[in-house]
Amino acid sequence: MGRLLRIILNSGGLFTFLLLELASVYLIVHHNDAQRAIWAETKSVYGSYLTQQLNEKLAFLDVARENEILRRENAALLARIPGSGYNTTVDTLPVRDSVYQQRFTYLASRVVNKSPYGPYNTLIIDRGSNLQVERGQGVLADGGLLGVVSEVTPRHARVISILHLDTRISAGLDNNSFGTLRWDGRDPRRVTITDMPDYVPVAPNDTIYTTGYSNVFPTGLPIGTVESSTPLPGTGSQDLTVVLLNDPLQATNGYIVRDLFKEELERLNTVR
Amino acid sequence: MSAGVAFRIALRFVLLLAAQVFLFNQIAWGWGGREYLFVFVYPLFVALLPLRAPRPLVILLAFLLGLAVDFFSETLGLHAGALTFTAYARPLVLRALRPRDGYNIKATPTTADLGAGWVSQYLSFLLLLHLLAFFLLQTFSIFFLGEIVLKTALSLPASLLTTAILVLLFSPKA
Repeated sequence: MGRLLRIILNSGGLFTFLLLELASVYLIVHHNDAQRAIWAETKSVYGSYLTQQLNEKLAFLDVARENEILRRENAALLARIPGSGYNTTVDTLPVRDSVYQQRFTYLASRVVNKSPYGPYNTLIIDRGSNLQVERGQGVLADGGLLGVVSEVTPRHARVISILHLDTRISAGLDNNSFGTLRWDGRDPRRVTITDMPDYVPVAPNDTIYTTGYSNVFPTGLPIGTVESSTPLPGTGSQDLTVVLLNDPLQATNGYIVRDLFKEELERLNTVR
Repeated sequence: MSAGVAFRIALRFVLLLAAQVFLFNQIAWGWGGREYLFVFVYPLFVALLPLRAPRPLVILLAFLLGLAVDFFSETLGLHAGALTFTAYARPLVLRALRPRDGYNIKATPTTADLGAGWVSQYLSFLLLLHLLAFFLLQTFSIFFLGEIVLKTALSLPASLLTTAILVLLFSPKA
Protein backbone atom coordinates (compact mmCIF):
# COMPACT_ATOMS: atom_id res chain seq x y z
CA MET A 1 0.00 0.00 0.00
CA GLY A 2 2.81 2.33 0.92
CA ARG A 3 4.61 1.45 -2.27
CA LEU A 4 1.49 2.16 -4.29
CA LEU A 5 1.16 5.53 -2.56
CA ARG A 6 4.80 6.34 -3.32
CA ILE A 7 4.33 5.46 -6.97
CA ILE A 8 1.30 7.74 -7.13
CA LEU A 9 3.19 10.55 -5.46
CA ASN A 10 6.27 10.08 -7.65
CA SER A 11 4.27 10.07 -10.85
CA GLY A 12 4.07 13.88 -10.70
CA GLY A 13 0.36 14.02 -10.21
CA LEU A 14 -0.54 12.06 -13.32
CA PHE A 15 -2.52 9.50 -11.34
CA THR A 16 -4.26 12.16 -9.30
CA PHE A 17 -5.01 14.09 -12.44
CA LEU A 18 -6.43 11.12 -14.32
CA LEU A 19 -8.47 9.95 -11.35
CA LEU A 20 -10.01 13.34 -10.64
CA GLU A 21 -10.54 14.09 -14.32
CA LEU A 22 -12.38 10.80 -14.74
CA ALA A 23 -14.45 11.62 -11.67
CA SER A 24 -15.27 15.00 -13.18
CA VAL A 25 -16.32 13.51 -16.49
CA TYR A 26 -18.44 10.98 -14.63
CA LEU A 27 -20.13 13.76 -12.69
CA ILE A 28 -20.66 15.77 -15.87
CA VAL A 29 -22.26 12.90 -17.69
CA HIS A 30 -24.49 11.93 -14.80
CA HIS A 31 -25.61 15.35 -13.62
CA ASN A 32 -25.90 17.51 -16.73
CA ASP A 33 -28.63 16.88 -19.27
CA ALA A 34 -26.96 18.43 -22.34
CA GLN A 35 -23.68 16.61 -21.83
CA ARG A 36 -25.48 13.36 -21.11
CA ALA A 37 -27.33 13.61 -24.41
CA ILE A 38 -24.11 14.32 -26.30
CA TRP A 39 -22.38 11.48 -24.49
CA ALA A 40 -25.15 9.05 -25.39
CA GLU A 41 -25.03 10.15 -29.03
CA THR A 42 -21.25 9.90 -29.20
CA LYS A 43 -21.32 6.52 -27.55
CA SER A 44 -23.89 5.18 -29.97
CA VAL A 45 -21.99 6.51 -33.00
CA TYR A 46 -18.49 5.40 -32.02
CA GLY A 47 -19.65 2.41 -30.03
CA SER A 48 -21.37 0.79 -32.98
CA TYR A 49 -18.39 1.54 -35.23
CA LEU A 50 -16.03 0.08 -32.64
CA THR A 51 -18.19 -2.98 -32.14
CA GLN A 52 -18.31 -3.53 -35.88
CA GLN A 53 -14.56 -3.25 -36.23
CA LEU A 54 -14.03 -5.52 -33.28
CA ASN A 55 -16.40 -8.12 -34.65
CA GLU A 56 -14.64 -8.09 -37.99
CA LYS A 57 -11.29 -8.55 -36.30
CA LEU A 58 -12.53 -11.29 -34.00
CA ALA A 59 -14.67 -13.14 -36.53
CA PHE A 60 -11.98 -15.73 -37.13
CA LEU A 61 -12.09 -16.85 -33.51
CA ASP A 62 -15.42 -18.46 -34.23
CA VAL A 63 -14.34 -20.11 -37.44
CA ALA A 64 -13.69 -23.57 -35.98
CA ARG A 65 -17.22 -23.81 -34.63
CA GLU A 66 -18.68 -22.37 -37.83
CA ASN A 67 -16.68 -24.88 -39.83
CA GLU A 68 -18.01 -27.73 -37.76
CA ILE A 69 -21.57 -26.53 -38.29
CA LEU A 70 -21.01 -26.20 -42.03
CA ARG A 71 -19.45 -29.61 -42.26
CA ARG A 72 -22.42 -31.20 -40.55
CA GLU A 73 -24.73 -29.33 -42.85
CA ASN A 74 -22.72 -30.49 -45.86
CA ALA A 75 -22.88 -34.05 -44.63
CA ALA A 76 -26.64 -33.81 -44.18
CA LEU A 77 -27.03 -32.33 -47.66
CA LEU A 78 -24.73 -34.85 -49.29
CA ALA A 79 -26.70 -37.67 -47.70
CA ARG A 80 -29.74 -36.48 -49.63
CA ILE A 81 -28.36 -36.47 -53.16
CA PRO A 82 -29.24 -39.59 -55.19
CA GLY A 83 -25.66 -40.78 -55.57
CA SER A 84 -25.33 -41.42 -51.87
CA GLY A 85 -28.07 -44.00 -51.82
CA TYR A 86 -27.28 -47.72 -51.83
CA ASN A 87 -28.91 -49.40 -54.77
CA THR A 88 -30.83 -52.36 -53.42
CA THR A 89 -32.26 -53.62 -56.68
CA VAL A 90 -30.63 -56.93 -57.55
CA ASP A 91 -29.70 -57.59 -61.15
CA THR A 92 -28.97 -61.23 -61.46
CA LEU A 93 -30.14 -63.54 -64.15
CA PRO A 94 -30.62 -67.22 -63.41
CA VAL A 95 -31.33 -69.27 -66.48
CA ARG A 96 -33.68 -72.24 -66.27
CA ASP A 97 -32.52 -74.85 -68.72
CA SER A 98 -33.12 -78.56 -68.55
CA VAL A 99 -30.13 -79.52 -70.68
CA TYR A 100 -27.58 -77.11 -69.40
CA GLN A 101 -27.83 -76.77 -65.68
CA GLN A 102 -26.95 -73.28 -64.45
CA ARG A 103 -23.42 -73.24 -63.06
CA PHE A 104 -22.47 -69.55 -62.98
CA THR A 105 -24.69 -66.65 -62.04
CA TYR A 106 -23.74 -63.02 -62.47
CA LEU A 107 -24.52 -60.28 -60.05
CA ALA A 108 -24.36 -56.72 -61.33
CA SER A 109 -22.57 -54.25 -59.10
CA ARG A 110 -21.22 -50.76 -59.31
CA VAL A 111 -17.69 -49.72 -58.50
CA VAL A 112 -17.96 -47.32 -55.59
CA ASN A 113 -14.31 -46.83 -54.69
CA LYS A 114 -10.95 -47.27 -56.33
CA SER A 115 -7.47 -47.12 -54.96
CA PRO A 116 -5.17 -44.58 -56.56
CA TYR A 117 -3.27 -46.10 -59.45
CA GLY A 118 -0.22 -48.00 -58.28
CA PRO A 119 1.29 -51.45 -58.29
CA TYR A 120 -1.43 -52.79 -55.96
CA ASN A 121 -4.76 -51.69 -57.39
CA THR A 122 -7.92 -52.55 -55.53
CA LEU A 123 -11.49 -51.38 -55.79
CA ILE A 124 -14.71 -51.59 -53.82
CA ILE A 125 -18.04 -52.73 -55.25
CA ASP A 126 -21.44 -52.23 -53.70
CA ARG A 127 -22.46 -55.84 -53.31
CA GLY A 128 -21.57 -57.94 -50.30
CA SER A 129 -22.32 -61.02 -48.26
CA ASN A 130 -26.01 -60.10 -48.09
CA LEU A 131 -26.18 -61.21 -51.73
CA GLN A 132 -23.86 -64.23 -51.36
CA VAL A 133 -20.74 -62.47 -52.53
CA GLU A 134 -17.79 -64.45 -51.19
CA ARG A 135 -14.05 -64.36 -51.08
CA GLY A 136 -12.47 -65.69 -54.24
CA GLN A 137 -15.28 -64.88 -56.64
CA GLY A 138 -14.27 -63.33 -59.92
CA VAL A 139 -15.48 -60.00 -61.22
CA LEU A 140 -15.96 -59.24 -64.91
CA ALA A 141 -16.25 -55.89 -66.57
CA ASP A 142 -16.65 -54.44 -70.04
CA GLY A 143 -16.05 -57.73 -71.85
CA GLY A 144 -12.91 -58.55 -69.90
CA LEU A 145 -11.72 -59.34 -66.40
CA LEU A 146 -11.77 -56.92 -63.51
CA GLY A 147 -10.44 -58.84 -60.56
CA VAL A 148 -11.09 -61.22 -57.70
CA VAL A 149 -13.07 -60.54 -54.53
CA SER A 150 -10.78 -60.51 -51.50
CA GLU A 151 -12.78 -59.05 -48.61
CA VAL A 152 -16.51 -59.07 -48.01
CA THR A 153 -18.72 -56.98 -45.76
CA PRO A 154 -22.53 -57.26 -45.61
CA ARG A 155 -23.04 -54.63 -48.30
CA HIS A 156 -19.70 -54.20 -49.99
CA ALA A 157 -16.76 -56.18 -51.24
CA ARG A 158 -13.16 -55.40 -51.98
CA VAL A 159 -11.83 -56.58 -55.31
CA ILE A 160 -8.18 -57.18 -56.08
CA SER A 161 -7.84 -55.86 -59.60
CA ILE A 162 -6.06 -57.94 -62.21
CA LEU A 163 -3.70 -54.96 -62.25
CA HIS A 164 -2.28 -56.05 -58.91
CA LEU A 165 1.12 -57.58 -58.41
CA ASP A 166 -0.33 -60.48 -56.43
CA THR A 167 -2.96 -61.45 -58.97
CA ARG A 168 -2.66 -64.97 -60.32
CA ILE A 169 -5.30 -66.17 -62.79
CA SER A 170 -5.28 -69.25 -64.93
CA ALA A 171 -5.43 -68.28 -68.62
CA GLY A 172 -4.74 -70.05 -71.85
CA LEU A 173 -5.15 -70.30 -75.60
CA ASP A 174 -8.00 -72.02 -77.38
CA ASN A 175 -5.76 -75.04 -78.01
CA ASN A 176 -6.00 -75.92 -74.31
CA SER A 177 -2.47 -74.91 -73.42
CA PHE A 178 -2.45 -72.63 -70.41
CA GLY A 179 -0.34 -70.55 -68.10
CA THR A 180 -0.65 -68.04 -65.29
CA LEU A 181 -1.78 -64.49 -65.87
CA ARG A 182 -0.01 -61.87 -63.81
CA TRP A 183 0.79 -58.19 -64.01
CA ASP A 184 4.27 -56.75 -63.84
CA GLY A 185 3.11 -53.42 -62.48
CA ARG A 186 4.23 -51.29 -65.38
CA ASP A 187 1.68 -50.93 -68.17
CA PRO A 188 -2.00 -50.96 -67.18
CA ARG A 189 -2.97 -52.08 -70.68
CA ARG A 190 -0.74 -55.17 -70.81
CA VAL A 191 -0.46 -58.27 -68.66
CA THR A 192 1.91 -61.21 -68.85
CA ILE A 193 1.23 -64.94 -69.08
CA THR A 194 3.99 -67.03 -67.57
CA ASP A 195 4.57 -70.75 -67.36
CA MET A 196 3.30 -71.29 -70.88
CA PRO A 197 5.20 -74.28 -72.40
CA ASP A 198 7.62 -73.06 -75.06
CA TYR A 199 6.64 -75.71 -77.62
CA VAL A 200 3.13 -74.30 -77.92
CA PRO A 201 2.93 -72.30 -81.14
CA VAL A 202 1.81 -68.78 -80.42
CA ALA A 203 1.15 -66.14 -83.02
CA PRO A 204 0.49 -62.48 -82.41
CA ASN A 205 -3.20 -61.57 -82.08
CA ASP A 206 -4.09 -65.00 -80.74
CA THR A 207 -6.86 -64.64 -78.22
CA ILE A 208 -6.30 -65.48 -74.57
CA TYR A 209 -9.21 -67.04 -72.67
CA THR A 210 -9.90 -67.94 -69.13
CA THR A 211 -9.49 -71.63 -68.45
CA GLY A 212 -11.91 -72.06 -65.59
CA TYR A 213 -9.46 -74.30 -63.79
CA SER A 214 -9.34 -72.03 -60.78
CA ASN A 215 -13.13 -71.92 -60.36
CA VAL A 216 -12.96 -68.17 -60.29
CA PHE A 217 -14.07 -67.40 -63.82
CA PRO A 218 -16.10 -69.48 -66.24
CA THR A 219 -14.26 -71.24 -69.03
CA GLY A 220 -13.64 -69.48 -72.31
CA LEU A 221 -14.06 -65.83 -71.45
CA PRO A 222 -11.80 -63.70 -73.66
CA ILE A 223 -9.17 -61.71 -71.78
CA GLY A 224 -6.99 -60.16 -74.45
CA THR A 225 -4.81 -60.78 -77.47
CA VAL A 226 -1.18 -61.85 -77.65
CA GLU A 227 1.20 -59.10 -78.59
CA SER A 228 4.50 -60.96 -78.44
CA SER A 229 6.07 -64.08 -76.99
CA THR A 230 9.46 -64.45 -75.37
CA PRO A 231 10.89 -67.93 -74.81
CA LEU A 232 12.80 -68.24 -71.57
CA PRO A 233 15.89 -70.33 -72.25
CA GLY A 234 16.48 -73.28 -69.96
CA THR A 235 13.03 -73.29 -68.37
CA GLY A 236 11.01 -74.80 -71.14
CA SER A 237 8.46 -72.03 -70.90
CA GLN A 238 7.72 -68.77 -72.63
CA ASP A 239 6.25 -65.47 -71.54
CA LEU A 240 3.39 -63.93 -73.50
CA THR A 241 2.66 -60.25 -73.45
CA VAL A 242 -1.09 -59.81 -73.67
CA VAL A 243 -3.01 -56.67 -74.52
CA LEU A 244 -6.17 -56.51 -72.43
CA LEU A 245 -9.54 -56.18 -74.07
CA ASN A 246 -10.82 -53.82 -71.42
CA ASP A 247 -9.39 -51.10 -69.23
CA PRO A 248 -9.78 -52.24 -65.62
CA LEU A 249 -8.84 -48.79 -64.36
CA GLN A 250 -11.89 -47.21 -65.94
CA ALA A 251 -14.45 -49.84 -65.01
CA THR A 252 -17.63 -48.51 -63.43
CA ASN A 253 -19.63 -51.73 -63.36
CA GLY A 254 -18.59 -55.17 -62.31
CA TYR A 255 -20.33 -58.52 -62.72
CA ILE A 256 -19.60 -60.80 -59.84
CA VAL A 257 -19.31 -64.40 -60.92
CA ARG A 258 -20.86 -66.88 -58.56
CA ASP A 259 -19.97 -70.51 -59.07
CA LEU A 260 -22.87 -72.66 -57.90
CA PHE A 261 -20.69 -75.76 -58.00
CA LYS A 262 -17.92 -74.30 -55.97
CA GLU A 263 -18.52 -76.29 -52.80
CA GLU A 264 -18.73 -79.52 -54.74
CA LEU A 265 -15.50 -78.86 -56.59
CA GLU A 266 -13.72 -77.78 -53.44
CA ARG A 267 -14.72 -81.01 -51.76
CA LEU A 268 -13.07 -82.89 -54.59
CA ASN A 269 -9.93 -80.80 -54.29
CA THR A 270 -9.58 -81.54 -50.57
CA VAL A 271 -9.82 -85.36 -51.01
CA ARG A 272 -6.39 -86.96 -51.01
CA MET B 1 4.51 24.78 4.34
CA SER B 2 3.97 27.02 7.32
CA ALA B 3 0.65 27.54 9.06
CA GLY B 4 0.49 31.08 7.71
CA VAL B 5 0.75 29.93 4.13
CA ALA B 6 -1.90 27.23 4.72
CA PHE B 7 -4.21 29.79 6.28
CA ARG B 8 -3.73 32.21 3.37
CA ILE B 9 -4.49 29.41 0.90
CA ALA B 10 -7.66 28.43 2.78
CA LEU B 11 -8.77 32.05 2.97
CA ARG B 12 -8.13 32.52 -0.75
CA PHE B 13 -10.08 29.36 -1.44
CA VAL B 14 -13.17 30.69 0.34
CA LEU B 15 -12.90 34.24 -0.98
CA LEU B 16 -12.37 33.24 -4.61
CA LEU B 17 -15.21 30.73 -4.34
CA ALA B 18 -17.54 33.37 -2.95
CA ALA B 19 -16.44 35.97 -5.51
CA GLN B 20 -16.92 33.60 -8.40
CA VAL B 21 -20.24 32.22 -7.24
CA PHE B 22 -21.95 35.32 -5.96
CA LEU B 23 -20.47 38.00 -8.17
CA PHE B 24 -18.88 36.83 -11.41
CA ASN B 25 -21.32 34.03 -12.15
CA GLN B 26 -23.94 36.73 -12.59
CA ILE B 27 -21.91 38.27 -15.42
CA ALA B 28 -22.62 36.38 -18.59
CA TRP B 29 -23.06 37.99 -21.94
CA GLY B 30 -24.23 36.61 -25.22
CA TRP B 31 -26.78 36.86 -27.98
CA GLY B 32 -29.52 34.77 -29.48
CA GLY B 33 -30.42 33.26 -26.13
CA ARG B 34 -26.95 31.80 -25.68
CA GLU B 35 -24.13 33.01 -23.52
CA TYR B 36 -20.65 33.40 -24.93
CA LEU B 37 -18.79 35.56 -22.45
CA PHE B 38 -17.95 34.28 -18.98
CA VAL B 39 -15.73 35.72 -16.31
CA PHE B 40 -13.73 33.20 -14.33
CA VAL B 41 -11.61 34.34 -11.43
CA TYR B 42 -11.22 31.11 -9.44
CA PRO B 43 -8.30 29.82 -11.60
CA LEU B 44 -6.36 32.51 -9.74
CA PHE B 45 -6.37 30.14 -6.78
CA VAL B 46 -4.37 27.54 -8.69
CA ALA B 47 -2.14 30.20 -10.18
CA LEU B 48 -1.21 31.66 -6.80
CA LEU B 49 -0.29 28.39 -5.10
CA PRO B 50 3.42 28.19 -4.18
CA LEU B 51 5.62 27.05 -7.05
CA ARG B 52 7.05 24.13 -5.07
CA ALA B 53 3.74 22.80 -3.83
CA PRO B 54 3.42 19.04 -4.48
CA ARG B 55 1.71 18.46 -7.77
CA PRO B 56 -0.87 15.90 -6.51
CA LEU B 57 -1.83 18.33 -3.76
CA VAL B 58 -2.29 21.16 -6.25
CA ILE B 59 -4.47 18.93 -8.42
CA LEU B 60 -6.53 17.78 -5.44
CA LEU B 61 -7.10 21.35 -4.20
CA ALA B 62 -8.05 22.43 -7.71
CA PHE B 63 -10.53 19.61 -7.98
CA LEU B 64 -12.09 20.55 -4.64
CA LEU B 65 -12.42 24.23 -5.58
CA GLY B 66 -13.89 23.33 -8.96
CA LEU B 67 -16.35 21.00 -7.30
CA ALA B 68 -17.33 23.73 -4.84
CA VAL B 69 -17.94 26.18 -7.70
CA ASP B 70 -19.94 23.49 -9.47
CA PHE B 71 -22.19 22.99 -6.48
CA PHE B 72 -23.28 26.60 -6.65
CA SER B 73 -23.45 26.76 -10.44
CA GLU B 74 -25.50 23.57 -10.91
CA THR B 75 -22.93 22.29 -13.41
CA LEU B 76 -21.60 19.35 -11.46
CA GLY B 77 -18.17 18.27 -12.75
CA LEU B 78 -17.62 21.01 -15.33
CA HIS B 79 -15.51 23.44 -13.30
CA ALA B 80 -13.93 20.57 -11.40
CA GLY B 81 -12.73 18.86 -14.57
CA ALA B 82 -11.46 22.06 -16.14
CA LEU B 83 -9.61 23.25 -13.05
CA THR B 84 -8.11 19.80 -12.48
CA PHE B 85 -6.70 20.00 -15.97
CA THR B 86 -5.41 23.50 -15.35
CA ALA B 87 -3.68 22.37 -12.19
CA TYR B 88 -2.10 19.47 -14.02
CA ALA B 89 -0.92 21.77 -16.80
CA ARG B 90 0.48 24.43 -14.44
CA PRO B 91 4.02 22.91 -14.21
CA LEU B 92 4.13 22.80 -18.02
CA VAL B 93 3.30 26.51 -18.19
CA LEU B 94 5.88 27.18 -15.52
CA ARG B 95 8.51 25.28 -17.45
CA ALA B 96 7.64 27.15 -20.64
CA LEU B 97 7.91 30.52 -18.88
CA ARG B 98 11.02 29.70 -16.88
CA PRO B 99 13.42 32.68 -16.53
CA ARG B 100 16.90 32.25 -17.95
CA ASP B 101 18.45 31.36 -14.58
CA GLY B 102 15.55 29.27 -13.32
CA TYR B 103 13.19 29.86 -10.46
CA ASN B 104 14.37 30.99 -7.08
CA ILE B 105 13.83 28.30 -4.43
CA LYS B 106 11.46 30.50 -2.49
CA ALA B 107 9.90 32.07 -5.56
CA THR B 108 6.17 32.78 -5.55
CA PRO B 109 4.10 33.54 -8.64
CA THR B 110 3.69 37.21 -7.72
CA THR B 111 4.59 40.50 -9.36
CA ALA B 112 6.99 41.20 -6.50
CA ASP B 113 9.04 38.09 -7.20
CA LEU B 114 8.87 37.59 -10.95
CA GLY B 115 7.61 40.85 -12.36
CA ALA B 116 4.34 42.06 -13.87
CA GLY B 117 5.16 40.87 -17.38
CA TRP B 118 5.84 37.32 -16.25
CA VAL B 119 2.68 37.23 -14.13
CA SER B 120 0.49 38.48 -16.98
CA GLN B 121 1.91 35.85 -19.35
CA TYR B 122 1.50 33.17 -16.70
CA LEU B 123 -2.08 34.16 -16.00
CA SER B 124 -3.03 34.38 -19.66
CA PHE B 125 -1.60 30.93 -20.42
CA LEU B 126 -3.33 29.35 -17.45
CA LEU B 127 -6.62 31.06 -18.24
CA LEU B 128 -6.38 30.06 -21.90
CA LEU B 129 -5.88 26.40 -20.98
CA HIS B 130 -8.59 26.59 -18.37
CA LEU B 131 -11.12 28.20 -20.68
CA LEU B 132 -10.39 25.76 -23.50
CA ALA B 133 -10.79 22.82 -21.15
CA PHE B 134 -13.93 24.28 -19.62
CA PHE B 135 -15.66 24.98 -22.92
CA LEU B 136 -14.61 21.63 -24.29
CA LEU B 137 -16.23 19.97 -21.31
CA GLN B 138 -19.25 22.28 -21.61
CA THR B 139 -19.94 21.51 -25.27
CA PHE B 140 -18.64 18.00 -24.64
CA SER B 141 -17.74 17.39 -28.24
CA ILE B 142 -14.86 18.41 -30.47
CA PHE B 143 -17.43 18.98 -33.22
CA PHE B 144 -18.26 22.35 -31.61
CA LEU B 145 -14.71 23.61 -32.09
CA GLY B 146 -15.89 26.93 -33.52
CA GLU B 147 -18.11 27.53 -30.51
CA ILE B 148 -15.28 26.61 -28.15
CA VAL B 149 -12.88 29.02 -29.84
CA LEU B 150 -15.47 31.81 -29.92
CA LYS B 151 -16.30 31.45 -26.24
CA THR B 152 -12.63 31.30 -25.32
CA ALA B 153 -11.82 34.34 -27.42
CA LEU B 154 -14.58 36.35 -25.73
CA SER B 155 -14.04 35.09 -22.19
CA LEU B 156 -10.25 35.22 -22.08
CA PRO B 157 -9.82 39.04 -22.17
CA ALA B 158 -12.62 39.56 -19.65
CA SER B 159 -11.29 36.95 -17.24
CA LEU B 160 -7.71 38.08 -17.69
CA LEU B 161 -8.65 41.69 -17.04
CA THR B 162 -10.62 40.76 -13.93
CA THR B 163 -7.90 38.55 -12.46
CA ALA B 164 -5.23 41.15 -13.23
CA ILE B 165 -7.26 43.80 -11.42
CA LEU B 166 -7.67 41.44 -8.46
CA VAL B 167 -3.94 40.76 -8.37
CA LEU B 168 -3.12 44.46 -8.59
CA LEU B 169 -5.72 45.38 -5.95
CA PHE B 170 -4.77 42.85 -3.33
CA SER B 171 -1.17 42.01 -4.43
CA PRO B 172 -1.43 38.67 -2.65
CA LYS B 173 1.53 36.85 -1.17
CA ALA B 174 1.90 33.21 -1.90
